[in-house]
Amino acid sequence: MNDKIDTPDMMIYAMASEIENFDTVLHGVSSPLPILAMSVARKTHAPDMAYISGSEGVDPELDRIYPSSFDARLNRNAVAYFGLHEAFDLAQRGELKIMFLGAAQVDRYGNTNLSVIGDVNRPKVQLPGGAASAFLMPITPKVVIWVTRQSSRVFVEEVDFVTGQGYNHRTDEHKKNEIVIISNLGVMNFKNPDRLMQIQYYHPGHSVDEIKENTGFDILVAPDVSESPVPGPDIIKLINQIDPEGVRRSEFR
Amino acid sequence: MKKVLTGLQEAAGLVEDGALVTFGGATFSRVPMEFVRELVRQGKKDLNLIDREPAMDFDLLIGAGCVAKVRAGMVAFEVFGMAPNFRKKSESGELVTKEGACQPIIAGFRAAAMGLPSLPVKGMLGSDLLTISDVIGSQKQIQDPFTGETMIAVRAIEPDVAIIHAQKADEFGNVRIEGPFYEDVIKAKAAKKVVVTVEELISNTEIRKMPEATTIPHFIVDAVVETPKGAYPCSCFNYYDVDYDHIKQYLKAAAKDQFKNYLDKFVYGRESV
Repeated sequence: MNDKIDTPDMMIYAMASEIENFDTVLHGVSSPLPILAMSVARKTHAPDMAYISGSEGVDPELDRIYPSSFDARLNRNAVAYFGLHEAFDLAQRGELKIMFLGAAQVDRYGNTNLSVIGDVNRPKVQLPGGAASAFLMPITPKVVIWVTRQSSRVFVEEVDFVTGQGYNHRTDEHKKNEIVIISNLGVMNFKNPDRLMQIQYYHPGHSVDEIKENTGFDILVAPDVSESPVPGPDIIKLINQIDPEGVRRSEFR
Repeated sequence: MKKVLTGLQEAAGLVEDGALVTFGGATFSRVPMEFVRELVRQGKKDLNLIDREPAMDFDLLIGAGCVAKVRAGMVAFEVFGMAPNFRKKSESGELVTKEGACQPIIAGFRAAAMGLPSLPVKGMLGSDLLTISDVIGSQKQIQDPFTGETMIAVRAIEPDVAIIHAQKADEFGNVRIEGPFYEDVIKAKAAKKVVVTVEELISNTEIRKMPEATTIPHFIVDAVVETPKGAYPCSCFNYYDVDYDHIKQYLKAAAKDQFKNYLDKFVYGRESV
């Protein structure tokens, strides 16, 4: 019954659930899913969050999204502009609570690669680059990584290049900060003493076994693993309202 | 105040082959695209491009053979996918790609704007990106002299030329940016030379009515060019939105090996498509 919910909507709901009320949250470039997750959180359980757009608007009255996450129309009725360099200042002060980042590869320690496959000086595959990853991953209290196609080619034993720092590339101080991975199959976190990736939720229609089969290393399973909470019809309606043209599906094609 | 109003060709002449260049805006917003097209028309060579999150500006120049090196936090066409020429030429070795991260690039601009040789930033530690920075000498691990905290010092980035597209300016180079600023004001202060292309020229009298709106004052601007639609197909806030169909057309041309036709039609203005 639940598998009627589209994968992007499932992921958006899971991403929104990571935001708590009063959190200060930033989204970056190429981020339809984070923008929708922030919008859902603000309209539901986190009305007092501080929403900082990658297009610089603070708490905009977002009516719809566009292919570019920096489209200035995303700033509609904002209360202020807050530049990226200012958001980065905030992050250095430890006051940016949540950031959403992407990954082309991720490993059991939470390292991400958005840089290259193969030799950095003569890449086999040139990836787009990590944007803010290497800066924000270690210092931000919670980083949510979204991956639209979980497979053993993406969830790898060891990333080819450490763009964003997992727990084995962090100082003790930065090990306290959380990484959450939200994929098309489920939700993974590192809430165990060894800080290794574990399955926390599997989305409806998927399973722990399916996630294991699509992971290139021996992934742990949280003792309290369960099916992901499902968004209600009001949330789905809200997502459709803000994204009538289905920009959110572009990453899944 | 000196009049700095000039033509697009003359202003593009300030960019020499091999120059370190940055552009204003971000991805598809308020990017000086007409100036970029003029650089292509003038056949610039070996440019060294730097920015945090560029898209079509870098890719167009790379595809037209104007670029030797790129340093950026990310080069992509957002949800439309990879930057085609950037990817192709990085993988073929024709282009030297030195990836940074957004913060060190912004901090490098800020250091130059402040007249400092470097600026420390947090984060970065443990990333393989530091091995690249090591090679190009752009970032080094340091200890704060007061707290002992380990940080990364980023070397100042002083572009030879920064080109900003803004909404309004007067003929002396007092510039108004409307909407988001991105790092444009910082870049203008950091660069050796500053070119501003504008949608609209306004009078100095008009400028004086609202000095708080002037974010870049005349004494750091070397050239102002009246360039309506100067950001097209990117957006210019309060003037026009992004032409997403044009961007798709660009990607289609690049994917079908018809990039030359794209250049002919949209850069050189020759009808061949």
